[in-house]
Amino acid sequence: MLDFDDVTVRFPGGAGVEHLTFRVAPGEIVALIGLNGAGKTTLMRLALGMLRPREGTVRVFDRPLTTLPSASWAAVGALIEVPLAYPELTVRENLHIACLLHGADPRRLVLDSLEAWRLQGVADRRFRRLSLGNRQRTGLAAALQHDPDLIVLDEPSNSLDPASVIMLRDQLTRRAEHGAAILVSSHHLDEVARIADRVLLMNAGRLIGELDSTGTDLEHAFFERIRQDDELRAATEGVPL
Amino acid sequence: MKAAIRVETIKLVRSPVGMIGSLALILGTLALLAGITAALAAGDPALTAKAGIAAALDWGGLLTAAAQIASAGGLLGFGVVLSWIFAREFSDGTITGLFALPITRARIALAKLTVYAAWSVAISVALALGTLVLGLTLGYGWPSPDVWAAFGRQVVLGVLTAVVATPVAWIASIARSLLAAVGGAIALVVIAQVGVLAGAGGWMPLAAPALWAISNGTGADPVQLSLTLALGVILGVLTCTSWARLQLNR
Repeated sequence: MLDFDDVTVRFPGGAGVEHLTFRVAPGEIVALIGLNGAGKTTLMRLALGMLRPREGTVRVFDRPLTTLPSASWAAVGALIEVPLAYPELTVRENLHIACLLHGADPRRLVLDSLEAWRLQGVADRRFRRLSLGNRQRTGLAAALQHDPDLIVLDEPSNSLDPASVIMLRDQLTRRAEHGAAILVSSHHLDEVARIADRVLLMNAGRLIGELDSTGTDLEHAFFERIRQDDELRAATEGVPL
Repeated sequence: MKAAIRVETIKLVRSPVGMIGSLALILGTLALLAGITAALAAGDPALTAKAGIAAALDWGGLLTAAAQIASAGGLLGFGVVLSWIFAREFSDGTITGLFALPITRARIALAKLTVYAAWSVAISVALALGTLVLGLTLGYGWPSPDVWAAFGRQVVLGVLTAVVATPVAWIASIARSLLAAVGGAIALVVIAQVGVLAGAGGWMPLAAPALWAISNGTGADPVQLSLTLALGVILGVLTCTSWARLQLNR
């Protein structure tokens, strides 16, 4: 569903990501874990065509992004950094336009979405007047209401209260059971990352392996892997620790 | 494309910027016209000297003043709203949500320009109607055929002034900054004024519509006016192309 084949992109100044290779299969939830600045958002931007790789190939639905028909994006749902929601519009209006932009029919979907994300109470409130948690839930609803086959969410549990995190976790689990491929990022092993089938570790712009999510003391194991990678880079590339 | 136009229409209609921009262009212009007329009627010699042919207290004077206001204030008003239409996606951060959609970004940019064009026609017609009501209220009598023709030029001037502002859409897209785009709108006003003073006349695409409307249609010929349209088309294509090629790499 989503494939990265030796993908590299660099920004002026040296930052970027390099040699990214991984796959997210239908029905699979993959978590991408890394510290702030590890390159998670850059990877997700590459997946969604916001950046073009300098080397390597990104494929969505088995087609390179360069040849992917625009209509195929109707089956993708994403939330990267900022929700697709405009401050002057109400929650209902924002969900309405998100449906239109995804090529979906808003008539039924918006009502279902308001209910699924428990947004009925703020449905007619302007987005700018929402709490951070409700903004995030609106963004998630806008990204997922058209029932996408590929879901890409950057730190989706940000600002969510525990009840909303459970709501998100249930939504993702259910969608994966129905065959959706899901990639979520986080800077720590939160509740969403813990439901993943696989946990990819990212450090300094590279994927450094997977974390066994069935083990105990995952946070310790995560930081230990990051420390080992930093030491390895210091020894082989002369990067200061 | 239809969906993108609907979305952009909702965004403009529901936004404070769209509302304030519309009111400023219509009511602001009419208030200015009423104020100028009142000052001229009171015999203000300084204003009478500055106003030139717009000093006449009749339809000709009123429409000339309206054209003069549209050529500077109108250009700034259209430019600010167009700046916001494009630059807001970057300042609000919503540009990330305009990727990975079945509607291409080039079509989204085209939808923005289409809605802007329709809005500018509505504003121009409303302003002409407002000017008609103002003139009738001032007792200028029912317009003659010549005056109706001047009203037609006034509407065309409004729309062409909106066309003159299209470079700010491109500036907003390239610079990804609202301030840069608004600065571009101010620069357009200055360039147009300086161009006229420098004697470029009808061959200056930024000023040709105003010269044409103020001179009862003799200050610029159709070829010169078509240069203004060409400017709008070229900048529209450049804007859509920049959206199609957009990368979030900075």
